[in-house]
Amino acid sequence: MSKRKKKTTARRKKTNKPQSRGWMRKIWRLGLLLAGVFLGLMLPWVIYLNYQVTTEFEGRKWDLPSRVYARALDIYPTAAMTRADLELELKAAGYRSSKQASRPGLYRVSGNAVDIYRRPFRFHDGAEDSRKFQVRISAGRVSAVSGLPGGRSLDLVRLEPAEIASIYPLQKEDRTLIRIEQVPALLVMGLQAVEDRNFKHHPGVDLRGILRAALANLKAGKAVQGGSTLTQQLVKNYFLTDDRTLARKFNEAIMALLLEAHYGKPEILEAYLNEVFLGQQGAYAVHGFGQASLFYFDQPLERLEPNQIALLIGLVKGASYYNPRRHPERARARRNQVLAAFAETGLLTQAEAREAAAMPLGVTDKPRTRGTRYHAFVDLVRRQLAQVYQEDDLRTEGLRIFTTLAPSVQEKAQAAVSDGLTQLEKRGLSPSLQAAMVIADVATGEVQGLVGDRNPNRAGFNRAIHARRQIGSVIKPLIYLLALEHTQDYSLVTRIEDEPLSLQQPDGSAWSPSNYDNTSHGEVTLLEALTRSYNQATVRLGLNIGVKHLVNRIEQLGVQAEVDPVPSIFLGAVELTPLEVTQIYQSIAAGGFSVPLRSVIAVHTADGKELVRYPLRMLPQPNREAIAVLNYALTQVVEQGTAKALPDLLGQAGTIAGKTGTTNDRRDSWFVGYTRNQVAVSWVGEDDNRPARVTGSNAAMRLWAGLFRQLPIESVDLRMPDGAYWLWVDRNSGLLTLEDCEGAVQIPFVDGSGPALSTTCMSAREDDEDSFWRKLLGKKKQ
Amino acid sequence: MKILFGESSLARKSSSKVQLVRLLLTLVAVTVLSACATYAPGPTGPQDREVEARVREPARQDSEGVQVFPLQNPAVKELLADAGGAEQTGDYGQAATYLERALRIQPRDPEILQSMAEVQLQMQDYEQALNFASRSYDIGPRVGEICSRNWRTISVSREHLGDHPGSLEAEKKATVCMNTKPRGL
Repeated sequence: MSKRKKKTTARRKKTNKPQSRGWMRKIWRLGLLLAGVFLGLMLPWVIYLNYQVTTEFEGRKWDLPSRVYARALDIYPTAAMTRADLELELKAAGYRSSKQASRPGLYRVSGNAVDIYRRPFRFHDGAEDSRKFQVRISAGRVSAVSGLPGGRSLDLVRLEPAEIASIYPLQKEDRTLIRIEQVPALLVMGLQAVEDRNFKHHPGVDLRGILRAALANLKAGKAVQGGSTLTQQLVKNYFLTDDRTLARKFNEAIMALLLEAHYGKPEILEAYLNEVFLGQQGAYAVHGFGQASLFYFDQPLERLEPNQIALLIGLVKGASYYNPRRHPERARARRNQVLAAFAETGLLTQAEAREAAAMPLGVTDKPRTRGTRYHAFVDLVRRQLAQVYQEDDLRTEGLRIFTTLAPSVQEKAQAAVSDGLTQLEKRGLSPSLQAAMVIADVATGEVQGLVGDRNPNRAGFNRAIHARRQIGSVIKPLIYLLALEHTQDYSLVTRIEDEPLSLQQPDGSAWSPSNYDNTSHGEVTLLEALTRSYNQATVRLGLNIGVKHLVNRIEQLGVQAEVDPVPSIFLGAVELTPLEVTQIYQSIAAGGFSVPLRSVIAVHTADGKELVRYPLRMLPQPNREAIAVLNYALTQVVEQGTAKALPDLLGQAGTIAGKTGTTNDRRDSWFVGYTRNQVAVSWVGEDDNRPARVTGSNAAMRLWAGLFRQLPIESVDLRMPDGAYWLWVDRNSGLLTLEDCEGAVQIPFVDGSGPALSTTCMSAREDDEDSFWRKLLGKKKQ
Repeated sequence: MKILFGESSLARKSSSKVQLVRLLLTLVAVTVLSACATYAPGPTGPQDREVEARVREPARQDSEGVQVFPLQNPAVKELLADAGGAEQTGDYGQAATYLERALRIQPRDPEILQSMAEVQLQMQDYEQALNFASRSYDIGPRVGEICSRNWRTISVSREHLGDHPGSLEAEKKATVCMNTKPRGL
């Protein structure tokens, strides 16, 4: 460049002679010179700018995060559901209460009726259109569902699922990226109406717009209007600076022209929508409409209402000046200006704009802490998907992930854990206690909720999945199950000894287990020993069964555990996670039809093709008749054993099966319980495993009760399968008896394990009549 | 109101790398799926005739005059009908999806479980067919048409799994569904 300059100076010297036609020539030459300098300087500059802006643009082409959906709520007459449940599910799915359910995404409550205008949605098993219907609820159940208008009764409808998380590209965790196709039309059009009406036609710079702005600024005597196109604004956002110099403007204009030359309008608009600065959360800038939608409304962009869209568009002009949380009045005025522009350009009718302008701002009180709403559950989703996908695919392919999360159940579980621990604090336990909870559907193994921390919003160590803790007495039912499988030797009325014993450990030390109440209870039945959780009786029983059998059975029930085959395993010296314990008890609750716990049902591509499905598959356990008998025994734990305080805590009727668990020095508190349809596990303890003064019934059971207090309880089904049956036996002797004999109780037995002898009461009757039992069992009268 | 920009930007943005990853993903998925189940060709495949000829028809004959049907939720009825429709067109995967949804509503309905068993039979997943039929029998009426379908499905499944004595035994049990009192409570 300097060379060229020298050359021109030399020429100038040479031609520096007085001449008559000199003026014209001079001007001409000067013009050429300037053009030369301009070109010479500008060309490299333009090339440089071109490089900068295209690198920036290409570098920010977005990978699409995967979207994670909760389960879709089925609504049908007789479904157990309170109005509060339904509203909770609606809110989780981004519905807004309104005077009329006049648009998709709105609902209206009046008395027992809830009118819902459902949005269209591509479910994992097919697309469904928007639909308006009314749900009537009474006494905790849906009493009727009818289509609106018209009121034709409907057998089954469903809500589209809540969007619970996005799995983002790495490094970009604070973005919620959107594709132009997902953006509501009103936002696409409205943004242009407000910021750049000529966007479709200009080449990146809008001369008319600049003139209009300049005129307005002249009139006002200061800069009141900007003539920047969306493309220029995008460039400005790329190289964020408040520098308002002419040179900066000039560069922006050049880069805008270059961008337009390289890329199409849709791409530029998409980049803009993902890039524009719309707020500040602590140290993090909120970029893009997708993220702003979550930041201000806690909802995905597609689910926003016109008034909310207008608010976001209004923020483009100045996200901190119009901050709706700090300056609601400014924000409202700005929003209504935008709504007026919508009406002016015909995007909304005057009436619609007026209606929207009358709405409250609708922003949440404070932004959700960074991270997803139900991240503990989303952890589980990632874990299940990691078996099939590379983490990178999840982050970049825009997959649609359909999960089993039931938002209302999850919210209740979170509340049960947080409130439960607060209550325990009031009862004198440590405020540093931690907890975890898992709840799943018994028959399908679908995980409905999962809590991994006392503060559900805290992302971090997820105890439900990762905390390996000794499970204490929660293991005992498996020992009794193994005993019941030995029909020659054991039934629930078989007597075993609860007496002190001393065992030599592999390391040579002696081990003398004691009971919780430090008393030995002598001869007790299996049923008593299990329901009251006697340690000495259980260890004796376990020694007869054998450690190896127990370890095998744990594996058979679906859990791979590293277990030291030492006798202390009979009292739960085995470390499992709450999720693993849930898996074991799912099998028992389902009568031996194990189903691997699932959090994901299906994964689709961004455009709706099914990539993978996780169908319901059952793995039946051997000796299911023994499992059925065990089910009964576990209901007796609640009826008369260590969990007998549970019914009072629940305050509602229903047969529940459960088991408490406490570990040495009261470090861990466990409760496992199930109803007919749901199985849940709760754990309480200290993270560093120090003694926590907890027991199964004083801590974990209270949390469990806190959850099921809020859920409908359906009694455990105690019908016996083939190979097991109910008999009347004498409560004290365990002998066969008749229903109307004194002390008769009904107990289930595995075929072949029933008592051989009968009571004198029964024998006396049998002299008179042909005994049904004798015929049934083919036994001789004693 | 129409959206300003259509599909084009998506297409334009899908670089060849993304395409490749998608293709790989699809391949993985297909492999995983095909490992789970092999689909029968269509409604005229041999497995369909089997389920009709060896399970449903004989069960209907067995149970003429004896009907033990649990009361059915209309929502479940609708889903069973949908599943039946999908089965007719040979879309067993979709049929299974409908039945799973029905099971979420009524997890212990022997009719849904048995229908699922029959769909599994047609997908030639004999192990799952056996499991669903067993579960249906365990919690079902253990008499009548369902009972007969339970045992006949178990019989056919065992046969395909190579358990011939077990298959014969199950076949026998099917015939006594009509004249045995259920045991237990």
